Amino acid sequence: MSGLKLRGVRKSFGSVEVIRGIDLDIEPNEFVVFVGPSGCGKSTLLRMIAGLEGITEGELDIGGTRMNDVDPSKRGIAMVFQTYALYPHMSVRQNMGFALKFAGVAKDEIDRQVDEAARILELAPLMHRRPGELSGGQRQRVAIGRAIVRHPEVFLFDEPLSNLDAELRVHMRIEIARLHKELATTIIYVTHDQVEAMTLADKIVVMRDGSVAQVGSPLTLYDDPDNLFVAGFIGSPKMNFLKGVVAESGADVRLPEYGDQIIPLHDSVARPAAGTDVTVGIRPEQFEPDGRTKLDLKIEMIEHLGGETYVYASHNDGEVITVAARDARAVKPGQNFVARFNPTSVLLFGTDGNRIR
Amino acid sequence: MAQTRFDRNAQLNGWAFIMPAMMLIGIFMVYPILWSLWMSFQVGRGTNFKFGGLANVERLLNDPVFLRALTNTCIFFIVQVPIMIILALLFAVALNDSTLRFRGLFRTAIFLPCVTSLVAYSVLFKSMFSGDGVVNNVLLATHLVNDPIPWLTDPFWAKIVIILAITWRWTGYNMIFYLAALQNVDKSIYEAARIDGVPAWARFTQITIPMLKPVILFTTIISTIGTLQLFDEVNNITQGGPGDATLTLSLYIYNLTFRFMPSFGYSATVSYVIVIMVAILSIAQFMIARDRRRTA
Repeated sequence: MSGLKLRGVRKSFGSVEVIRGIDLDIEPNEFVVFVGPSGCGKSTLLRMIAGLEGITEGELDIGGTRMNDVDPSKRGIAMVFQTYALYPHMSVRQNMGFALKFAGVAKDEIDRQVDEAARILELAPLMHRRPGELSGGQRQRVAIGRAIVRHPEVFLFDEPLSNLDAELRVHMRIEIARLHKELATTIIYVTHDQVEAMTLADKIVVMRDGSVAQVGSPLTLYDDPDNLFVAGFIGSPKMNFLKGVVAESGADVRLPEYGDQIIPLHDSVARPAAGTDVTVGIRPEQFEPDGRTKLDLKIEMIEHLGGETYVYASHNDGEVITVAARDARAVKPGQNFVARFNPTSVLLFGTDGNRIR
Repeated sequence: MAQTRFDRNAQLNGWAFIMPAMMLIGIFMVYPILWSLWMSFQVGRGTNFKFGGLANVERLLNDPVFLRALTNTCIFFIVQVPIMIILALLFAVALNDSTLRFRGLFRTAIFLPCVTSLVAYSVLFKSMFSGDGVVNNVLLATHLVNDPIPWLTDPFWAKIVIILAITWRWTGYNMIFYLAALQNVDKSIYEAARIDGVPAWARFTQITIPMLKPVILFTTIISTIGTLQLFDEVNNITQGGPGDATLTLSLYIYNLTFRFMPSFGYSATVSYVIVIMVAILSIAQFMIARDRRRTA
């Protein structure tokens, strides 16, 4: 199984640069997820790896070979598309065996490999159907099957679950994770859904405006984001960002919009000069009833999810803060609400959006 | 009770709404069709005719001019329809390629002949292909030929001119159908094929053509019917000549009715030959398409 190396990879359409210099290492057998908002270039980057888009500048290396100008079919990759891209006039069996036919594989061997893929994906009873006669989930499995029979070094998935309904999406997510274990290949997976990224990835590449915002394991990105963008993108509901100013002492942050509440700074955090504007980040799930610091808020809206309750509250009609509370079944909109947290759990960001560590 | 009255009212309203159209269709389509069927059993000249049973059919089978017209029509459609369909498909695929420059210009250029008047373009073709016309002048000037080609005076070349003319006029029309169908095809299917290592030619024959099959069937039927009814071009370019070499069934019907001593009954019989041919060919084309679907 192959790893990938990207060095200074760029892509321009005319004068518009959509991929602005990406350096990335993907280890063999790694499950890497490209995630980011729409238009961030994640699909374009995947298509450049696949060979469907040219590389304007930089080096792409798959399994130790430079692949910049190699034909897509010779890169040792297989791709699963968002729209499945099945051949509508062929049966499931023909769809899955089509590539092998052109690779010069003997008919018996094609049948054997297609049957093997069908077994893995539990497609055997559907082999004679046309794509039009299959459900979304089944089509998705056929598309994956078509990729499997080629025994690629690297699997590419382009938002494969976004056309499925919520329940099926969870199911297919588990299927793909299982498949990764079973096949033990490198997988590059593009999604805009951070839950998919968190649950599937060994390594997440968060992209923004054609550049990499941060690379790391799911928990690294969650616990230790490098910048406001990653902090806001990873985690659901979103991290709360509060405007703060470093207090005169230099050891605390004052929150002017929250009644000048003081948050003592962590010992390990670099001390910005007094009077510096900062952004304080705190995740909804990091509020805890016995926290040492508190915010006095007024509840605007409540979402009961059963196990958890999301409280949306603000101070003096300022910015709304989301609090995930476990024992807030009785609270009502309009009530006062005290949100407590420990100052050790907050993250500090500078005005440039980068983390202050 | 109330329900039934309402139903009856709805029924009456419905009929009232479609009645004007039904009457027009009845007067201008159903009645002439039935009347021409009746006419096809009449023999006689001008307005002076009487019932003759199958006499017209008998005349048909022994009429060398009719057999000539039938043969010519079949040659036109057997040669021209496949050429045009394949050409239209190739144009459509080429023009669907987003990397092609001046796509809009080519698309317009290929479609434009369809909006020109049949008579106007026929007259132009006639002048272009005449003995000292543009085509011969260009061929002579570029030394591609040493003597002018007798385009309109030789039976073989006259057929070629007619085939060239209708191909020029109708290829763009068929291409538009293919182009529309191709633009509905998900691009990722072709990308998947590229990744699967399917060569360009196989992408065309094994993906594009099967996916366009319903449209190809439709255009083939439309083109077949059109060619069987071929009239304007032959009437204006060659008048069926030289020596009936380009005489088509439609032109023969016209001649029988309006040029020669009018023989309405017989020309109605010839018209029904076209009807029967169109019916048989359309059914055959549907059957072929359906059989393939079953075996696939």
